[in-house]
Amino acid sequence: MDLIIGGAYQGKLEYAKTKYDLKESDIFTCSESEGIRFGVRCLDKAGEFALWCVRNGKDAVEFLQQHKEEWKDSIFICEDIFCGVVPLGADMRAWREMSGRMCSYLSSEAESVTRIFCGLPQVIK
Amino acid sequence: MTILLSGGNKNGKSGYGQDFAVKLAAGGKLYYVATMIPYDDEDRARVARHIENRAGMGFETIEAGRNIQNVFETADENGTFLIDSTTALLLNEMYPDSHFEEADSEAAARCISGLLEIARRAGNAIFVSDYIYSDAARYDEFTETYRSSLASIDRALAQECDTVIEVCAGNLIVHKGRLP
Repeated sequence: MDLIIGGAYQGKLEYAKTKYDLKESDIFTCSESEGIRFGVRCLDKAGEFALWCVRNGKDAVEFLQQHKEEWKDSIFICEDIFCGVVPLGADMRAWREMSGRMCSYLSSEAESVTRIFCGLPQVIK
Repeated sequence: MTILLSGGNKNGKSGYGQDFAVKLAAGGKLYYVATMIPYDDEDRARVARHIENRAGMGFETIEAGRNIQNVFETADENGTFLIDSTTALLLNEMYPDSHFEEADSEAAARCISGLLEIARRAGNAIFVSDYIYSDAARYDEFTETYRSSLASIDRALAQECDTVIEVCAGNLIVHKGRLP
């Protein structure tokens, strides 16, 4: 599994598409309403899956651990939302924390971690 | 040489931009392209602080809050240009009448075109931007448009520039190219 991380609008998905030669059908876009669906090469917006977990009383790390066989060869893309002010709303705070723990877990499991800055990749693991 | 400098606020980007510009100019023409249009006393105080900071460094100041490529009407294009910042330029272009109600949807494209023209024509150019993409807030539509627009400018400049540097707590992380 490879993890791609970076701030909003930095070109993470474009980078993944080029690097791994992805077609649209290779990508699942996680969402707050549908969570995550395995079985595709690339799982985009993993942070939205973390928000789905918050909304549905699940723990993102436990959920991923239980389904490890289904994503162990995938590419995860996750937005870095960790440098701003701690959000005032309890939900957003829980989301930020869930997202952070999930990224740390994914990072520990990943063969490579790449951070995208202004469209430029930097391999940090 | 062309350089994009980005990173968080108050990390020393402007200071590095000035130092790099002086070094690259090597005694030649040196321009500070001021993009901020001051609206109140707080803005005017910030401008005064910036002017004081670069006093004696040899900069000639060009005011260019909009239509950035117009700097070539008065400046020698073989000179060295410090553009500080793309952030202020975009804000001015998004709200051409200084009314904060309706953003101009062509603003980002106009900024990219003008800034790339400077990158290609200028003897040397240094662009200062701001990295505002890593917080856990859900912003209103205007703010998101501003963030995605600034990111598209950053990415266009990152592709064009010889060197891309992230400034972090006064330290330099080189993402592309080499230091001047």
